[in-house]
Amino acid sequence: MSANGTESGALQLPKLQSETPNYNDTYDAIIVGAGLAGTAAALTMAREGLDVLMLERGPAPGTKNVFGGVLYTPTIRELVDIDSAPMERYIAEKRFSMLTSNGDETAVSMRPGAWRDEPHNDSYTVLRRRFDEWFAKQAVEAGATLITETTVTGLIRDGHKIVGVETDRPDGEIRAPVVVLAEGANSLVSEGADLKDRPEREEVAVSVKEVFKLDRETIDDRFHLDGDAGAAYHYFGDGAVGEAVGGGFVYTNKRSVSVGVAYRIEDAAHGQTPEATLNAFESHPAVAPLIRGGRRIEYSAHVIPEGGAKAMPDLVHDGAVVVGDAAGLVLNNGVHLEGTNMAVESGYHAGKAIVAALADDRSDEAALAAYPRDLEDSFVVQNLRHYDWFQRTIADDRQFLFEDLPRALADAETEYFKMDRSSKDEHTDAARDRLLDAAGGWFGAAKRAWRFRRMLS
Amino acid sequence: MSTAQPHVPDVSIEDRLYTVKYRDAGESHLGVKNPDVCVDCTTNECMQVCPAAVWTVEEDSDGVPSIAYENCLECGTCRFGCPYDNVEWEYPKTGGGVVFKQG
Ligand SMILES: Cc1cc2nc3c(=O)[nH]c(=O)nc-3n(C[C@H](O)[C@H](O)[C@H](O)COP(=O)(O)OP(=O)(O)OC[C@H]3O[C@@H](n4cnc5c(N)ncnc54)[C@H](O)[C@@H]3O)c2cc1C
Ligand code: SF4
Ligand code: SF4
Repeated sequence: MSANGTESGALQLPKLQSETPNYNDTYDAIIVGAGLAGTAAALTMAREGLDVLMLERGPAPGTKNVFGGVLYTPTIRELVDIDSAPMERYIAEKRFSMLTSNGDETAVSMRPGAWRDEPHNDSYTVLRRRFDEWFAKQAVEAGATLITETTVTGLIRDGHKIVGVETDRPDGEIRAPVVVLAEGANSLVSEGADLKDRPEREEVAVSVKEVFKLDRETIDDRFHLDGDAGAAYHYFGDGAVGEAVGGGFVYTNKRSVSVGVAYRIEDAAHGQTPEATLNAFESHPAVAPLIRGGRRIEYSAHVIPEGGAKAMPDLVHDGAVVVGDAAGLVLNNGVHLEGTNMAVESGYHAGKAIVAALADDRSDEAALAAYPRDLEDSFVVQNLRHYDWFQRTIADDRQFLFEDLPRALADAETEYFKMDRSSKDEHTDAARDRLLDAAGGWFGAAKRAWRFRRMLS
Repeated sequence: MSTAQPHVPDVSIEDRLYTVKYRDAGESHLGVKNPDVCVDCTTNECMQVCPAAVWTVEEDSDGVPSIAYENCLECGTCRFGCPYDNVEWEYPKTGGGVVFKQG
């Protein structure tokens, strides 16, 4: 069983003192941020014998990080032995549910038997505070150096070339041939150094989340789980996020349940505040019973980039690469919310490209070009490109998808299963009429089906 | 079509923020770039989008928001939320600010 949840102890870390030792040119690469992408890059390079320095602004890796969340592990598994990782539960059930603000719910649930077997479709709930620290510890054990409580405030250039970082420590300049920008969605350093533009408001989501403490048995009973099995529930419709474009989620941890909503900042700016949206979601009749009696143990929030492939910045520069959320590598389209796998995959490809470039004593853009090339060929960019049309399409069809359709489904179900004294034929006709009305008749339904066909292809 | 909503205990932003651990950095990492822009701004979108009630524009003020930086979850939303790109946003100094225990 891989989910045994060892408590990760405090790391023994070298600390930058007020008299900063001279780290210049001690390291082959400096990594900004010990999140998933940064640690994957550090691990990849340390395994190949490079001296790498990870700089993390939090008191420990994970203390600043928030996600839903389900960690996807196909690439992490290649880098470390995940049997000792602090997993919460493996995903045994995925459920997609349409909610209306009238209290209706229509859900589809799947529990493929194969997910019960190792490696559990490489999908596990984790809590980032514990997982990120454990993951960074694997990099330290592979030879990387980690310094916490240190914020990178800027990049040092020599002409065009990036040659190191400035930190908020006294005399905190550190030079190295390559800098890996793994700073996440709030990429202040990359933006400040003109490696990317600040994403447009339309291309960023706000997410608020709460963790509720519940007994293990209560969670097992409510979600029909046993052993290390867990559930990932996704919610859409105006019962989940009101008038906004986005969704809600409920994930089971071992002894807690994570509940949250994520939707466009655009919608929040127009008056649908995160707190009110979370309150409405948590009190929906489909959600409230899942968390009833649970004690709130943490409230958190974070932005999610959702600009897709077209919003991706240049990934390589002379002396630097951009990975993970800093590069906008998140797939968020309702059916999928994936960023962890993309962060790790990008860190891995960047790490490999840096190893190869430094072997030739180079770190210019051309020498690092294997990174964007490999990423382009990987599932990361392919999936982002595949779903690029989606954000646009759902924004256009919001009213239909999130309000008319869920309501029509609920009405159709009510008609179809109605207990009265008219015949089943009449019920079926009435149900079909409800659905066709919502979809704009047969022609409208066919047009919409065509537009959304790529969703499942 | 149901009407009866199940009972959910009322929760305030104070209750929620009470669950969050912070290390005070001692000085604000947030600000506005140009107060005049806030004076002319009528929508106060910084306040709308912030999940932690950091930004408030008092009724009788000149329209420049007051900033309760100690509540900040460092989520980044206000950075994108202000339509005039008028939010000044840095990370708190040397590891200060929010310390998530779950994440
Ligand atoms: C609410 C929410 C739910 C999500 N749900 C899922 C999900 O269920 N499944 C999924 O696969 N993905 C999910 N995602 C996306 C996923 O969390 C991200 O894609 C992933 O965490 C990105 O990893 P990263 O390493 O690029 O960035 P991060 O994990 O954000 O790491 C960045 C690191 O850099 C540090 N840092 C930043 N700036 C500096 C600096 N200047 N100096 C030093 N250190 C710095 C930070 O402290 C942090 O440790 C979700 C995201 C959110 C916000
Ligand atoms: S920060 Fe931006 S949104 Fe907030 S009051 Fe000032 S101008 Fe308006
Ligand atoms: S970063 Fe997030 S919590 Fe902090 S002030 Fe901005 S919106 Fe509010």
